[in-house]
Amino acid sequence: MPRRFTPKVVTANDLLLGDVVWQTADNSWTRNISEAEYLDDEDTANARLSQAESQQSVIVGAYLADAKLGDNGPEPTHFREEFRVSGPSTYANAQQAEASNV
Amino acid sequence: MYKYNDFDEAFVRERVAQFRGQVERRIDGSLAEEEFRPLRLMNGLYLQLHAYMLRVAVPYGTLSSRQMNQLAFIADKWDRGYGHFTTRQNIQYNWPKLQDVPDMLSALADVEMHAIQTSGNTIRNVTSDHFAGAAADEIEDPRPWAELIRQWSTDHPEFQFLPRKFKIAVTGAPNDRAVVKAHDIGLQIVRNDAGEVGFEVIVGGGLGRTPMVGKVVNGFVPKEDILPYLEAIVSVYNLLGRRDNKYKARIKITVHENGLETIQKLVEEEFKTRKALFNGADRELFAQIAPQFAAPEFSAAPTDLFDATYNDDPVFRAWADTNLAEHRQPGYAIVTISLKPHGKTPGDATSDQMRVMADLAKEFAHDELRVSHEQNIVLPHVHKRHLPEIHARLRAVGLATANVGLISDIIACPGMDYCALATARSIPIAQEISTRFDALKLEHEIGDLKIKISGCINACGHHHVGHIGILGLDRAGVENYQITLGGDGSETTTIGERAGPGFSYTEIVPAIERLMLAYLDVRENAEETFLETYRRLGAEPFKAALYPDDTGKRKHAA
Amino acid sequence: MPHETNIDARVAHLNQRYANHGALDVLGRALKDDQVGRIALVSSFGAESVVLLHMISVLDVSTPVLFIDTQMLFEETVKYQQDVSSQLGLTDVRTIRARPDAVAAHDPEGLLHQTNTDACCDLRKTEPLERALGNFDAWITGRKRFQSNSRATLEFFENEGNKRIKVNPLAHWTPQDVQDYMINNRLPRHPLISKGYPSIGCAPCTSKVAPGEDPRSGRWRDQDKEECGIHFVNGKIVRGPLPKDPPMEEVKPMNTIVTDNGFAPDTGADDFVTVEELETSNAARAVDLPSDADPMVLQEVLERLETIRVDFPTFADGRGFTLARRLRLMGFTGKLRARGHVLADQYAMARRSGFDEVEISPELAERQPWDQWKVRAEWGAHDYQSRVRGTA
Repeated sequence: MPRRFTPKVVTANDLLLGDVVWQTADNSWTRNISEAEYLDDEDTANARLSQAESQQSVIVGAYLADAKLGDNGPEPTHFREEFRVSGPSTYANAQQAEASNV
Repeated sequence: MYKYNDFDEAFVRERVAQFRGQVERRIDGSLAEEEFRPLRLMNGLYLQLHAYMLRVAVPYGTLSSRQMNQLAFIADKWDRGYGHFTTRQNIQYNWPKLQDVPDMLSALADVEMHAIQTSGNTIRNVTSDHFAGAAADEIEDPRPWAELIRQWSTDHPEFQFLPRKFKIAVTGAPNDRAVVKAHDIGLQIVRNDAGEVGFEVIVGGGLGRTPMVGKVVNGFVPKEDILPYLEAIVSVYNLLGRRDNKYKARIKITVHENGLETIQKLVEEEFKTRKALFNGADRELFAQIAPQFAAPEFSAAPTDLFDATYNDDPVFRAWADTNLAEHRQPGYAIVTISLKPHGKTPGDATSDQMRVMADLAKEFAHDELRVSHEQNIVLPHVHKRHLPEIHARLRAVGLATANVGLISDIIACPGMDYCALATARSIPIAQEISTRFDALKLEHEIGDLKIKISGCINACGHHHVGHIGILGLDRAGVENYQITLGGDGSETTTIGERAGPGFSYTEIVPAIERLMLAYLDVRENAEETFLETYRRLGAEPFKAALYPDDTGKRKHAA
Repeated sequence: MPHETNIDARVAHLNQRYANHGALDVLGRALKDDQVGRIALVSSFGAESVVLLHMISVLDVSTPVLFIDTQMLFEETVKYQQDVSSQLGLTDVRTIRARPDAVAAHDPEGLLHQTNTDACCDLRKTEPLERALGNFDAWITGRKRFQSNSRATLEFFENEGNKRIKVNPLAHWTPQDVQDYMINNRLPRHPLISKGYPSIGCAPCTSKVAPGEDPRSGRWRDQDKEECGIHFVNGKIVRGPLPKDPPMEEVKPMNTIVTDNGFAPDTGADDFVTVEELETSNAARAVDLPSDADPMVLQEVLERLETIRVDFPTFADGRGFTLARRLRLMGFTGKLRARGHVLADQYAMARRSGFDEVEISPELAERQPWDQWKVRAEWGAHDYQSRVRGTA
């Protein structure tokens, strides 16, 4: 019997800007995880990762991240991925607070 | 300060041109990411959690006002208006865009700076004492040697693909401010019995997963032999270092596994042949470098203004008491500008703050600044009469925090707020500790204390050598913080001991508070520092404070 | 169990899905992929077997490993099987042998191989393996495209007679890749390799291979046999003479020598011997030095050597640069050549360390054409070392 599969999203960084991005069902990339394609089947997840890895001119460092389904779409489950969604947790009280709006 | 000659200038320009071509080839698809990655790393460009990160070398931590202004300009033009000074005397930009990086490198080259060898398995940026050339306890300024080593190690053909990264630190004073014993090679300038100046050479120190204090491989290497001696060590390591396991690849493991005596024997043999490769050109080069680090012309002006302000202004006095260090020239002081305002990110400076620091250096400090491994900025040569104005201008931009060497002067790595390797956050822990003790008004009462925080086992925050070290880990998807006690990064380098089980994110700051209250309770008098108390009493009273319930049980059981 | 019952469809799907993956990826995913199903590694514990065995040990030590003991193996192979299994911590190594009654019936004297090698392979390899594989949906082999013409189009996944899937993770590997992997992971070598057997099967049917000969030419020497039965199961065993390899130069394109003046084909003028062979061969003038060697072993013979070729198993292994510098310091004035995985960006480092030239594979020469090397051909410029040493 196959192991229980934890659902995933494909995530990466934008090649030129470095921004965190997630893969959507229509093969584009979004900066909003709730628009990401939710992958609850291991084969499909692996296949989607392969497709992502072939888009070298668009993204860099693609990998599968654990996800769960929330009210608005996929959400991260691990705190590392939560920071990738929210940005540095220090923004609220750090010197660069203003810069975060850039 | 060292001034680039035509050769240095052409070299960095050539490297910028090479990298510009490589970025173009990556974007047009003719270079794959796997091929591009080692090339971008050779030029200091990482991919982090939220974005790219560019690490710029500040050789031996020395900057001019022009260079500091350019760092501010780069932060504004291509990043988000700030930079982060690191524990290796570098500056990191957290938000560069790939296509902008060649322009950033070009702007750095304009002020004789670069990002070469700030990454990769090669000899990294050489670090040094941030008080070099100014400290009262110095035998000789280590920076000319650091510059010579920079030139020797830059693009060294044998050593670009070592088993692992390789860090060298040089200090010229018996009081070690460069943590030389926690480097792959530490060089300590010493005087032998005959009164000659040379180097004590220490190898195999390092923090990370397997912390080790470096060992003396040679107690006295004459100055003129230092390059062949370094070359002997690194070539022995290049052939002998392990390449099968990256966690066992640093020279500290090579020394540990082969034994110091074997390494000594191999190095001495190799040194004999290597020496033939150096025909004196290195000494001539050194003779050209050394005068560029000559001390400025010191002023003999009176210090009345300083004395008066010190007596009248308690805020200035508090700052002067913590943030000034003794200068070798009477009437002068070394100023440490704290980049640790309470509640802010340790080591961050905005572009405005950088410009203010640059202006102060130009007007009052012989045009020189230093980056310290403790993530502060130093004005090494300041006549005391200027201190009141410097203090006032720093205060206007939030840089006059009087906390150098105190509990809120925390070293913290970027942690999971930025770093792709991190397993937990470091910065918010530092912010909360400093906010908490500022609110308790206990900071000055506690006195000398070094807290160092790393967000993963790689120990960029030097937690092993913090009087109190905090290591953030990921325990089953939750942040967990381990405390080590009794570490020391000075000339009496000691690796801290783990206190016990870790604490959750919400428990760690209260745990540190209990620890501090216990210290205030058990210290002999106000002069006894935390580290001294720890060395006198051992870990027990502090463990009891950290784990009140456990200790009770253990006592009953015993 | 696999979802799709049609093996052709699954194989096509798998080949498409993993088309751009590396060996370890393919293997790692094959071990977990439902489309593959229950899987075992079949290993002869021969010259190159340790690569897949090591990969398995990293990915999942409990993967079943089927070791076919034909009872005709070299003693060294049997010992090597035990050593490697224990060193890698493999937990499910199953030794497969022919049924004793079948051996008694068909080869009681153990001499069948002298009269009919095919029947011997059938008895001792093909049948026992077929039996052992009955419980599996797929098996892993170490076959590679370069090994013979009949394997030139080998894919990662193959349909084996509509019975099961055959997985060939190393299909695209070159001999150099195999060597790189073994060196980088410090894997134990089969003891017979150093005795001149680059490809190892049963003792009676394996002979030594002369330097320069195709490595597999020692298998079933002088026979029109290129594959043992197990690789041609295909429902029933298909045998008969296979077309002989065309002459060497057509099969193996020449390596390229890079110098400051450009690319040139490697004419093979130097007859390289190993360090060990140097001791017995007084005529040898050219030697291969591995990257983990101590250059002092050449001290005694340095004067008579004309060429030393230093191996670069991967570009990240920078030992070769120090080896070159040491050889020069020992007084070697002949030709120094870096051979293997050297990148164009490393050309200046190689020249500055004391090398005269670099030897690269046709594949590397194609991927990194001369113009990429040319950029670094002016290696004397912008060199801090020559300033520090006064040689500018």
